[in-house]
Amino acid sequence: MPGIKAVLETSFLDWRGRVCAVLFLGGCNFRCPFCHNHSLVLTPGEYETISVEAAARQLAPFRKWLGGICITGGEPTLDPDLAGMIRFLKDSGWPVKLDTNGSRPEVLAELLAAGLLDAVAMDVKAPLDPEKYSGCAGVPVDLGRIRESIRLLGESGIEHEFRMTVVPRYHTRDDIAAWAAALGPGPAKLTLQNFNPRTTLDPELGREKGFAAEVFESFRTLVEQAGKNARLA
Amino acid sequence: MGVVMPLAEKRTSTAASLGRGDSTDLALFVRSSQDDITGWDRQRIVEALLRETLIDRDTAERISIEIEETISSGKVKTVTGPLIREMVNAKLLEMGLEEARRRHTRLGVPLYDVDQLLVQHNKENANVPHGPEATNLTLAEGIKKEYALLHVFSPEVADAHLSGDIHLHDLGFIDRPYCSGQSLEYIKKFGLNLPHALSMAAPAKHPEVLLAHMIKFAAALQSHFAGAIGWDAVNLFYAPYLEELDDRGVKQLAQMLIFEFSQQAVARGGQAIFSDINIYWEVPKHFEDVPAIGPGGKYTGKTYAEYEKQAQRFAWALFEVYKKGDAAGRPFFFPKPLVHITEKFFRTEGHMEFLEHICEVAAEKGNTYFVFDRGETAKISECCRLSFKLEASDFEDAKEPWRMRYSALQNVTINLPRLAYQAKGDDTRLFSLLTRKIELAVKAHEEKKKFIEKLMSLGESGPLSMLAMKLDGQTYLRLHRCSYLVGMVGLNELVKVHFGQELHESDEAMKLGLKVIAHMNIICHKLSEATGMKLVLEQTPAESTAYRFAKLDMTHYGDQAQEVVQGNPERGEIYYTNSTLYHVGARMNPIQRVEREGLFHPLIEAGSITHIWLGEARPDKKALAGFIINVFRHTQNDQMAFSPEFTSCLDCGRTSRGLQEECPYCHSAHVDGITRITGYFTKISSWNKGKLGELHERYRNDNQFAGAR
Amino acid sequence: MTLFTKTDCRLCDQLKKKFDLGTMGVKVEVLDGNDAGALAHLAWHGLVEAARKSLPLLVLDDSSSVIEYAHIERHLVDRARKKGGGYRPRAAGAAPVCEGGSCSL
Repeated sequence: MPGIKAVLETSFLDWRGRVCAVLFLGGCNFRCPFCHNHSLVLTPGEYETISVEAAARQLAPFRKWLGGICITGGEPTLDPDLAGMIRFLKDSGWPVKLDTNGSRPEVLAELLAAGLLDAVAMDVKAPLDPEKYSGCAGVPVDLGRIRESIRLLGESGIEHEFRMTVVPRYHTRDDIAAWAAALGPGPAKLTLQNFNPRTTLDPELGREKGFAAEVFESFRTLVEQAGKNARLA
Repeated sequence: MGVVMPLAEKRTSTAASLGRGDSTDLALFVRSSQDDITGWDRQRIVEALLRETLIDRDTAERISIEIEETISSGKVKTVTGPLIREMVNAKLLEMGLEEARRRHTRLGVPLYDVDQLLVQHNKENANVPHGPEATNLTLAEGIKKEYALLHVFSPEVADAHLSGDIHLHDLGFIDRPYCSGQSLEYIKKFGLNLPHALSMAAPAKHPEVLLAHMIKFAAALQSHFAGAIGWDAVNLFYAPYLEELDDRGVKQLAQMLIFEFSQQAVARGGQAIFSDINIYWEVPKHFEDVPAIGPGGKYTGKTYAEYEKQAQRFAWALFEVYKKGDAAGRPFFFPKPLVHITEKFFRTEGHMEFLEHICEVAAEKGNTYFVFDRGETAKISECCRLSFKLEASDFEDAKEPWRMRYSALQNVTINLPRLAYQAKGDDTRLFSLLTRKIELAVKAHEEKKKFIEKLMSLGESGPLSMLAMKLDGQTYLRLHRCSYLVGMVGLNELVKVHFGQELHESDEAMKLGLKVIAHMNIICHKLSEATGMKLVLEQTPAESTAYRFAKLDMTHYGDQAQEVVQGNPERGEIYYTNSTLYHVGARMNPIQRVEREGLFHPLIEAGSITHIWLGEARPDKKALAGFIINVFRHTQNDQMAFSPEFTSCLDCGRTSRGLQEECPYCHSAHVDGITRITGYFTKISSWNKGKLGELHERYRNDNQFAGAR
Repeated sequence: MTLFTKTDCRLCDQLKKKFDLGTMGVKVEVLDGNDAGALAHLAWHGLVEAARKSLPLLVLDDSSSVIEYAHIERHLVDRARKKGGGYRPRAAGAAPVCEGGSCSL
């Protein structure tokens, strides 16, 4: 049974506009070849589980410094205790942001309905094409569920962001434009991350390179053409 | 500096020659150091000994005769002035005349060393590039350093430096004060009017001319000080010149200022001017009612409070330039921008936008230094960390801001870990040894002070004429207002040796660290009262000292030192942790580092800093801005900076984020890293081994699963 | 609980007269410019700058601090009431005012 596998006390990167703490949950239903946190995905049992109470105690001294807690993974929505965990944090006064791959819209819907989330970042791995998507996720993906999560966030009224890691082997310029267009009108922020070959899940990818910096920079206009506020990270 | 004397003295020597071995018998030629070849004359030895030492004429004659015999018995056809001097020195030693030998000694550099130097790179100061001017500097510094240790400082102080108990900084600049802070008002009011200059410039009428004056004055100051040249409230003092300029003009001026300062590498051995510019978003309270000086050095009829908007426009533009970096997108190394965060800052309109603006620069390029002036204290920052708290007399000066010029005359650093080796766990002994070393540092300060006073007393005809100029009635260098710095290296390792844990490992270890620094603070206060000198603690910018102390201790205290030195001894990359900082590799988050390191800062009155290493991460500007506000509100931290790392490609010339093994643009492996050394950005290829060891151990607050994020 | 004081500080003396700090379990640290331990203790609580503005300072067991004479006095009166002793109201002399700026580090 996974759970919290690590606590990062401060991050300037994981929640736009806030200094936040990050909880890493083990286990994932995707096998993205470019994943950097793959030990959490493949062998979560190697890490001791930290209770949410212990994590909250660890973070308490930094309460006045932190704008909230980001829950990431792995894929947090697989954890049956997720709602309980977030409720505990919310009751302790922490704003909470969730990182998800959107494959479990029912969990997302429940959390949103219960008002447990202050922000969500969803990884949308590719344009919504079954073959492309499964290639990036490393497993077959039911795109209906992905679409449902995108819709839920669009209607949620809370701060949300769609992210994609772009890899030369998987993503073309057209893919990026299609991706941005598919995320539809709405207040979402879009973020592109360049592939970094360091410690990838698929060792073969470790020999490949990310997009050259100026090419990556040029993707910004593709996203902006879709009328979106683009960020490159 | 050869032993050969001017020809005029030669005539007297024949008359004075005595007994056997008359100099004329010897058909030898001596290569003098005066660029000529002269015949042998024994009397020159005698004259030199009488002029330079206190020995009597008979002894001098005897020595000269013996030297002449040695030379004539050999087969030497040509001897050199330096050789003769060394032979005389050997003779003095043989006769037990140690003091005479000391006075008669020759300062110089072995041929082998010069040969090495002309091809190798000097890594003591990463700010000095390699080149003919740089080697000139190194050679001159070498001789002045020897001079200082032999002639300015007492043997006790010199020995303490050489053995590594203390470090006397910038010995090669013995004839200069350490660092200085000034006001643009001086050149706005008096123009560029320096002693012995070929021309004199009246006060500037246009902003570009003011900039030219500022740069030239900074270069002139750089050749009179060993360390940093700081400028107070630069954006405010420029403001009266900016009213005619549109935004583009202001941006252009900002660009010129930063490029001019960062490209002044032509001066002093190719070393860039180590320059700081202090920037305020608000009009500092002590300048609000001060009449503003404008074009032509004339009062504009307004006070500085009325120039807030112009000053802000300039501050904003300066950071736009920093954000962009140089033509290759690299961060500017100099001038370092120090932004003062004060209570009034938060009451000034537009402060949040400005804070986010400078935080974006901090995230993108790392340039921004955040200086926290809490309560009613006002500070100006000078050097790596050095800052001066303005006192009552300074506020009086503030009414005529051109008077506001400050200097620290010297910096002496104490090797803290060594005290712990010597104390062997005994508290009383530890603190009494520490007291003794501070007293020694103060003795060194008194000796340097005396020497600088001597040079200053020669006034405008002496070597420090520029510092002795009296355009406003008092000398430019206000000796009576100088500070004397006492620094420290390796508090973390002292605590580890004495207590068994490093500063970050327990509260008890931290409390011992605080007690050591509190003790230093108290002793400095007491000695200030006793000597009438303003002795203050400073966090040493120890780019070479931390390495030097560690190396010396590995030699002299090897058994104990090898347990605590940081870095990689096998590669020779060893160092002690800088000043009162925590171990660079300690797994602590930025909040803890800022809070914990900040507890020392109020005790270190001449300034402190905390560095947060960012590595590849490019933080969010709003998140950083929130963090900075918390540092101001909730900690005692004095100053902080975020230090990113960059890779500069030597093939395609482009700059990328993080320390990469290859260029992400052109995939060339021919790259150099850029990051902050102790207080400023440099290329990693110029770092000394101690600093390289530290770089490998930096903790960058990344998540443990991610190779990179 | 620690009270940070100074030897020639008038306000500090007032408190010492009014309260039997020993029996109330209040530790007194004297910042007399000789005691590195006391100064380090003050620095540990992050109060050096506060002490430069005014003394005395009271640090509670939870490490929070009470600044300004009137607040400290009120706090000590409360504590004496709870502890059942230690307050000597009569010992109070003239209205406590700092003279000559000596009530700071």
